[in-house]
Amino acid sequence: MSTLPPELQTELAQQVAAADHPREQVINIMYVLQKHYGYMSDEAVEEAAALLDMTPLEVEELATFYDFIYREAVGKFVIHVCDGVVCWMFHEGSVFDYLCEKLGVCAGGVSADGMFTVLPSACLGFCDHAPAMLINGVFYGHLNPEKIDAILEKLRREYCDLVICR
Amino acid sequence: MPTLRIDQREISVPQGTKVIEAAEKLGIMIPRFCYHPALGSLGACRMCAVKFMEGPVKGVEMSCMVEAADGMVVSTTDPEAMEFRRYVIEWLMLNHPHDCPICDAGGQCLLQDETVSGGHGLRRYQGLKRTFEDQYLGEFVQHEMNRCIHCWRCRRFYQEFAGYFDYGAMQIGNRMYFGRFAPGPLESPFAGNIIDLCPTGVLTDKPSRYKGRRWDLQRGPSLCLHCSLGCNLVGSARYREMIRVEARFHGAVNGYFICDRGRYGFAYANHPDRPRQARVGEEAAPLDQALKTAAQRLGQIRERYGPGAVAAWGSTRSSLETLGMLQWLCQDQGWRGPQFFPQASLARRVKAAVARLDTGMAVSLRDLENADFIVVAGADPVQEAPMLALALRQAARRGATVAVIDPRPVFLPLEYEHLPVSPGDIDLCLNLLSQAARSEEAATGKLEPDAARFYGLLTSTNLEDPLLQERLLALGRKLQDCLRPVIVCNTDMVRETTPARAADQARLLQADKGQAGLFYLLPGPNAYGAALLAGREEVDLLAAMEQGGVKALVVVENDPLGSCPDQERLLRALDNLELLVGLDYLPSATAARSQIFLPTTTVFEKEFSHFINQEGRLQQAVPLHQGGTPIIQVGQGSHPPRTFLDAIPGGEPRPGAGILADLAAALSGEPAPPTAGDLWDYLSGEHEGFSQLASLTASALGEGVHLLPAEAQEPAWSPEPGEKPPEPPAGQLELLLVDQTFGTEELGSYAAPLQKVEEEPHLLLHTDLAADLGLAPGEQVALLLPGGEVTVRLQTAQNMAPGVAIMPRHRRLHWQKTGDGPVWLPPENIKKLSEPL
Ligand code: SF4
Ligand code: SF4
Ligand code: FES
Ligand code: FES
Repeated sequence: MSTLPPELQTELAQQVAAADHPREQVINIMYVLQKHYGYMSDEAVEEAAALLDMTPLEVEELATFYDFIYREAVGKFVIHVCDGVVCWMFHEGSVFDYLCEKLGVCAGGVSADGMFTVLPSACLGFCDHAPAMLINGVFYGHLNPEKIDAILEKLRREYCDLVICR
Repeated sequence: MPTLRIDQREISVPQGTKVIEAAEKLGIMIPRFCYHPALGSLGACRMCAVKFMEGPVKGVEMSCMVEAADGMVVSTTDPEAMEFRRYVIEWLMLNHPHDCPICDAGGQCLLQDETVSGGHGLRRYQGLKRTFEDQYLGEFVQHEMNRCIHCWRCRRFYQEFAGYFDYGAMQIGNRMYFGRFAPGPLESPFAGNIIDLCPTGVLTDKPSRYKGRRWDLQRGPSLCLHCSLGCNLVGSARYREMIRVEARFHGAVNGYFICDRGRYGFAYANHPDRPRQARVGEEAAPLDQALKTAAQRLGQIRERYGPGAVAAWGSTRSSLETLGMLQWLCQDQGWRGPQFFPQASLARRVKAAVARLDTGMAVSLRDLENADFIVVAGADPVQEAPMLALALRQAARRGATVAVIDPRPVFLPLEYEHLPVSPGDIDLCLNLLSQAARSEEAATGKLEPDAARFYGLLTSTNLEDPLLQERLLALGRKLQDCLRPVIVCNTDMVRETTPARAADQARLLQADKGQAGLFYLLPGPNAYGAALLAGREEVDLLAAMEQGGVKALVVVENDPLGSCPDQERLLRALDNLELLVGLDYLPSATAARSQIFLPTTTVFEKEFSHFINQEGRLQQAVPLHQGGTPIIQVGQGSHPPRTFLDAIPGGEPRPGAGILADLAAALSGEPAPPTAGDLWDYLSGEHEGFSQLASLTASALGEGVHLLPAEAQEPAWSPEPGEKPPEPPAGQLELLLVDQTFGTEELGSYAAPLQKVEEEPHLLLHTDLAADLGLAPGEQVALLLPGGEVTVRLQTAQNMAPGVAIMPRHRRLHWQKTGDGPVWLPPENIKKLSEPL
């Protein structure tokens, strides 16, 4: 039995019904559920499977394939640090290591204040601003330690609603 | 036909052939992991690299991804290609654990072979290895994910080929994990095939774990006896124990795969209670002595009451040798019988089916995969003959329409249309389908007179349910455009008219389209042989026994007490006997009741045996070992007793045919009735369907021979296609006794691994009907049958015929209370006993 709020259930059911083939909606449904649960929990996988007439395994195959579906709990902000070749060329030191050290986390971990998760990502398509990262759907380029510190500070202080990918 | 050169040898191959396949035709096995002939190319492992020297492709490329083309010159041994492959194997081995000595795939592992042949002998990688947690995947498949090399074979089989979706590939890159969403038994009854497919030790055979290396095993080609399809196996025995079964390739029958019933059913051969000693009364006796006593007592009865007082009852699980010898013995001695089927009505249905097969009509499983429209009438493939479902799926993947006309809530791992009608309506549905498939003008104008006459006779009553009627007609219109239709029909639960009607319709389709096929399922691995031997004559031993005419019964590899649908009647009839002689390798109720018992061997032991599958294909099983009580049983798990013997403990059982031959000799006082070679001569005279047997060479027998006649024995058309079979009295339910993948098939129900996975027995009713009767799923109900009460749990389903109650012939259910023929019950005969669990 679904534990989702009835409005959400109806919304999702309509979204599925409107599609020619329900399973073409799988990514969209996963995003909605991820937003609802905070991450793509086991329960969310099973919900998605039931909605789309797929097995949980089939949903899991996709959920664990895509970078922006989080199968474990994440912080309020998910920092996707570019791990692409162009960004490597522009790294002075490693943006990734700097962030991990600064926030006291390993890849995929959540900072103690529950605010941040750091993940490596394939090329973000922001190479002309390398080195780059993406935080809850917003690009940040030309990174260096000072700039990173400022961004983190700002995110900590200011409310941000730009949660596109969760 | 492109022509290319591979390693300086020229070959022409059909358009579309991959270079790896072309090389194989030359006998060059290019190393590979992800490529598999049944699964195709993927290009995932990079192991099949070769160098293209000349032609449209240049340089090192994957031979599984490149189609053979004119002018190609390929080298598999070029230093650059060899170096590439050496690196690939080293790279695939980076994360692979150093655990061959404790791995069950060791010695039978493609990864081992190709690591060695690829020239990777020394490990250079010093880093940490990627590790995973393994999952429990059920009783058959053992999981050791650290050994995975990401070839994708398992997932491609499991999902694409077989159509189940609870096992797959998760995560990405180096972390890619093959398994389930959560630990639990694999749902597919074909799951065991991923053991054969996995090129390394991730997926290994669980029941045979730690029981021996491949080179320890006595291996050989064998056959599956767990349904009528006759899938080909490799069997393995060790220390007198049957250890394992794998699929053996057969192009026309099972391809590369088998089902799990066939893979794990063999364990009946090791049953701890298997009777391995002859017995006279309560006393164990040497086999030859028991045989003499049997001959003596049978002779006495014959003398006292005449030859007809002795009767013989065989079954469809015996080899052709044993069936033939039993037939010969009956003729020689003037005995009654043999009867080969548990009920007369089943015998009639099977004979009707077999008599309608000929070379123009019968199709193999492989032909079925190329059909474009398949009607499955009165069959539930996954439950009855699982590999049929896999063939249907391949047809559906190639675009075929699959329509199932069956009262049960049939599930198939593919897209199909299911019309849940009662057995009495199947014939009508076939008629309606035929009519919708062609306009009458076209039919009368184009068809031959016989076919046209038959077409004219088809009734056009409508189905009661207008929705079903509409769906059926829509299917018929689809059938109109199809070119290679096939009708699949079982002989088990259908009306007596249905097998013939299926043949009529197939013939009509053939007359209309020039091409159409017919595919029957039969009850048992040698039902085809038994039906030919039985001839036209009707034998009803049960009735004869009841009338007191039979004083002695010889039961050969058969358990009427388990298979006869009216056990009480049978017990009364058995009470009329003066002598019951049993021959078997199963610890059955009938074997236990026999006054004289003679133990026989299984298909895996001592001598060659032959079986004819449901499409008339004679196939051979090679003995793997000499039999005897498994050492593990003799030693009760520890070292076997240190006593010297000159015989194999428990090694007395002999093939049924041999025992029967000796019985005949003892009875007639003359030596040597037809044995071995002569038996084929005898059989070829017995029935024209066997006429080829006399001239077959040993190698032909080994390969398998299609015994189908050029022309079916029965005239093509049924006289009265409009005639409707008997219908249940209004308001009554028809009880259908059915098969389940695991738990109903006789041999498999003695196999410990299958017992672990069989579903609980249950009675199945339509959801609405159950509600009307005030019954809920999960409740225990009492079912009042003609022969007494059966207690069983209730299940309900929406997608089944409304007027039927469905019950499996489950080994844990005392279902033998129904009597022969259709059973009709008033709904009051189902009573609630307890609340749901
Ligand atoms: S489990 Fe075996 S078959 Fe499946 S991908 Fe891994 S190595 Fe290949
Ligand atoms: S389909 Fe039938 S013959 Fe084939 S493996 Fe399964 S049980 Fe055996
Ligand atoms: S390489 Fe970093 S954005 Fe493209
Ligand atoms: S067999 Fe060709 S890439 Fe795997």
